[in-house]
Amino acid sequence: MSEAYQNVEDAEEVQAVIKLEGVSFGYDPEHPILHNISLSIPRGQWVSIVGPNGCGKSTLVKLMNALLPKSGGEITICGHQLGEETIGAIRQCIGMVFQNPDNQFIGATVEEDILFGLEGLCLSYAEMEERLRAYTVKLGIEDLLSKHPGELSGGQKQRVAIASILAMKPGIVIFDEASSMLDEASRDELLRILQGMRAEGQYTILMITHDADEILASDRVLALHGGGLAADTTPQKLFRNIELLEKCHLLEPYPWRLARELQSRGIRVDVPASEKELIDTLWPYN
Amino acid sequence: MAIQLEQVSYTYADNSLWKQTALHEITLGIPKGSLTGIAGATGSGKSTLLQLFNGILKPTQGTVQVLDVTMRAGEKSPKLLPLRRRVGLVFQFPEQQMFEDTVEKDLCFGPLNFGMSPEEAKERARKAMLEMGLDLGLLTRNPFRLSGGQMRKAAIASVLAMDPEIVVLDEPTATLDPVSRAELISQLERLCREQGRTIIIVTHRMDELLPYADRWILLKDGKIAFQGSGGELAADPDILARCGLGVPHSLRYWRGIAGRFGLAGEKPRLTPESLAELIASLPGAGTSGRPEEEGGCP
Repeated sequence: MSEAYQNVEDAEEVQAVIKLEGVSFGYDPEHPILHNISLSIPRGQWVSIVGPNGCGKSTLVKLMNALLPKSGGEITICGHQLGEETIGAIRQCIGMVFQNPDNQFIGATVEEDILFGLEGLCLSYAEMEERLRAYTVKLGIEDLLSKHPGELSGGQKQRVAIASILAMKPGIVIFDEASSMLDEASRDELLRILQGMRAEGQYTILMITHDADEILASDRVLALHGGGLAADTTPQKLFRNIELLEKCHLLEPYPWRLARELQSRGIRVDVPASEKELIDTLWPYN
Repeated sequence: MAIQLEQVSYTYADNSLWKQTALHEITLGIPKGSLTGIAGATGSGKSTLLQLFNGILKPTQGTVQVLDVTMRAGEKSPKLLPLRRRVGLVFQFPEQQMFEDTVEKDLCFGPLNFGMSPEEAKERARKAMLEMGLDLGLLTRNPFRLSGGQMRKAAIASVLAMDPEIVVLDEPTATLDPVSRAELISQLERLCREQGRTIIIVTHRMDELLPYADRWILLKDGKIAFQGSGGELAADPDILARCGLGVPHSLRYWRGIAGRFGLAGEKPRLTPESLAELIASLPGAGTSGRPEEEGGCP
């Protein structure tokens, strides 16, 4: 290995906030749920984790902050090698928004729930007030502060859960299908918030999702299948790889599917950006 | 009509300082044997509306009629137990309600509770599994050892095991992968078309249900913003934006093509396959396209 190459690798090592080497998980060594997974994620990257239901996506992210115990391999988060002494430090680096928001409510009101996490960080009152205000505005939940989480609709709960995690400003934010119950307007809003976070370059975002728009918004796609990493690719390449899409139980975005259907009928078109572009392309002269 | 609401309002914690009206003067009808989609922004009252359909919530104003049972605000309601068997309600994340150690026991719990014999309950369980397209071999499995999609379907089967005439599902496809999602929607459509059950699905992913739903009900701030067929909705998609919902791609592309060729009155083509077929049959489309460039699909 040349010295220059070695240096590049070292540089990557320093920048990688998440590093997994040969990580496995399973109760029965004969049938591991995840087997020998190695990956490295640099700071500031937005990564989609995709794959069919039950392929181990949630398990993989839960290994990273030791919500589940790995059965083999090494995990390094923000420079801390995962072990009994480092769990606390690692959990401070990672904020996790779960699939079902009911699984993470603690407070008697939305306000208390958001403050609970901030109190744990030993912030000053002024700082807590400021973050509470900033993130409730960002997620559009100012009106809900005095409500009990049980009074909220599914989508409102998800927005509260997201606000309470983001307010803690963790370096790594993991969303486990956290937009599954949001309507399209709230989902677009969440994507906008995430794009803002990416622009700041401080946040590393991991998003477990099946949603084509969310995948397209990210930088990189990790596809899990059969307990292993089936692909490490970009969203654009993923949606052009029909075989991989089928393997991951994913569908292309509607315009991509329409373009493919048209191509299979002998009509040569690119993926249109809008319905107007499609019509202008197909019938340019009238 | 399977379900008829007349001027129904629902207020949470009525008679208290914290009262909050979730539904305002809702009047709607859902025909027997239809497949109805209910959509609306988060917090628009969708889940509250569903709970009126089998008497979990009772109207604080107005009249709810479900099958042959009528519930009037302020009056003592009739016995609701039989109605609850006939109207199956599937909540968000139904798999979290599973608790038995085998799928079969879980599916038999409902029928046994409604007084059926163990043999009858087991027969119902098998039938419900097949209706959801699940392998009977899964009956002896632990429900928590199933995949996410199977677990969701098994949970829905546990409601079908009570042989309900009306099945109401709250976001049944949330967190399923797109393939399992399409499978589930087509199983639900089959329940409606082949067995004549009334199916009501709350969703915010209108795209996946648009090609199948007979009727749509859109809610905004606890009021009905739209009620009608998918075709009527396709004719006026702006209503979606007014409800805080996005216009699905399928509807946008259909509108574009239909507007260009004066096809607005026709049955909307809402799947990529059916729209591509239509485009291929239109004059000029096969010949004037640009040659494939780098950005195209393989």
